[in-house]
Amino acid sequence: MKPIECEFESDVLAAVLQSRMPEHLRAHVEACAICSDVAAVAGAIDDAREEMRASAAIPDSGRVWWVSQMRARREATKAAGRPITAVQVIALACAVGLLGACFGATSVWFQSALRRAESTLAGFSAAAFLTEHGLIVLAMAIVLLLVPGVVYLALARD
Amino acid sequence: MFRDLTFTDVSRAEAVDDASAGFVMDEDAFRAFYERTARGVWAYLVRVTGDRQHADDLLQETFYRFLRTAATYDSEAHRRNSLYRIATNLARDARRRSLIRAPFSLPCTDIERVPSGDDGGAPERSADFTRAMSRLKPRERAILWLAYAEGASHREIADVLGLSPGSLKAMLFRARRRLASFLGGRP
Repeated sequence: MKPIECEFESDVLAAVLQSRMPEHLRAHVEACAICSDVAAVAGAIDDAREEMRASAAIPDSGRVWWVSQMRARREATKAAGRPITAVQVIALACAVGLLGACFGATSVWFQSALRRAESTLAGFSAAAFLTEHGLIVLAMAIVLLLVPGVVYLALARD
Repeated sequence: MFRDLTFTDVSRAEAVDDASAGFVMDEDAFRAFYERTARGVWAYLVRVTGDRQHADDLLQETFYRFLRTAATYDSEAHRRNSLYRIATNLARDARRRSLIRAPFSLPCTDIERVPSGDDGGAPERSADFTRAMSRLKPRERAILWLAYAEGASHREIADVLGLSPGSLKAMLFRARRRLASFLGGRP
C-alpha cells in the first residue's frame, strides 16, 4: 500500500512557513514525494494567503454589528407579528362562520335553495355519474393533482 | 398616553428591543472576535467559492448566523471552528444555487485581481495558483486551505467540513497530490 504520510511532514511544513529549509530537510524533500508535495502546496498557499490578507477589503466590524442588529430587529418584528396575524385570521373565520349561520337560519331564499339541492341529490347516483362522465372526472382529478406538484417543483428550483 | 398602547404593541416593542440580546456575544466581544477572524474567513470564502463578490456577501451572512447561533463555546478554537463551519455550509448552499442558475459558469474567474507587489513574478505565480486551485473540487480546496493557510488540525478540518476524521488523511493526501501536480504542470 502506498504511504500517505511521512514523519517529516510537519518539519517540512514548519520550514516552508519560516522560509528556512535546513540542508538535511532539503535533501529529504527532493527524495520524498509526500514532502515534496507538502513543500510545493504549503508554499503556494502561504503566498496566496499573504496576498489575500493584504488585499482583503472587509467591512468594518461596527458596520457588520449594526447591520446584524438591524436584521435581527426586522426578524424580531416579523416574528412578533406572526401570532397576532394567526389570531386575526381565526377571529375573521369565526365571524364569517357566525354570519353564515345567521344568514342560513333567517334567509327564506337560502332554505328553499337547500331543499331544491337536497331533492336533486336524492335522485343522484354516483355510480351512474362515473359511468357516464368517468373519463372527464379522471382527467380533472389528474390535472388537480398534477398542477400543484408542477408549480411546487418550478418554484422550488428558483 | 399609555392607554393608546395595546398589549400586543408593548410585547412587540419588547421583542424588537431585545433583538440583539439573542446574540451569542456583546458588541465589544464581537468586534474583537471579528477583527481576529474576518480576514481569514473572507480569504477562505474567496478560495472555496472562487468569487470575491460571493465571498463579500457570505462574510456578512456568516457573522450574522454566528451571532444568532444558540451555542456556548468552551474555547476560542471551538468558536472559530463554528464560524468556519457556518461559512462552509453557506458556501455549499451558494454553490448549489449558482449551479442551478448558471450550470456552466467557471469558478475562480474573479480572484486573480491581486495587487502587484515588488516581486515581478508574483502576479503570474498568483494566477497559476488560482488556476490550479480552480481545477480542484470545492471540498479539496477547503481541505487544503484550512490545513495550510489556517493551520487547522485534521480533527478541526473534519469538524468544519462535516467529514469523518479517519477519512481526512487520505483526502488531504489526494487533494495535495492533485494541487501539486497542477502547480508543477504535471497532468
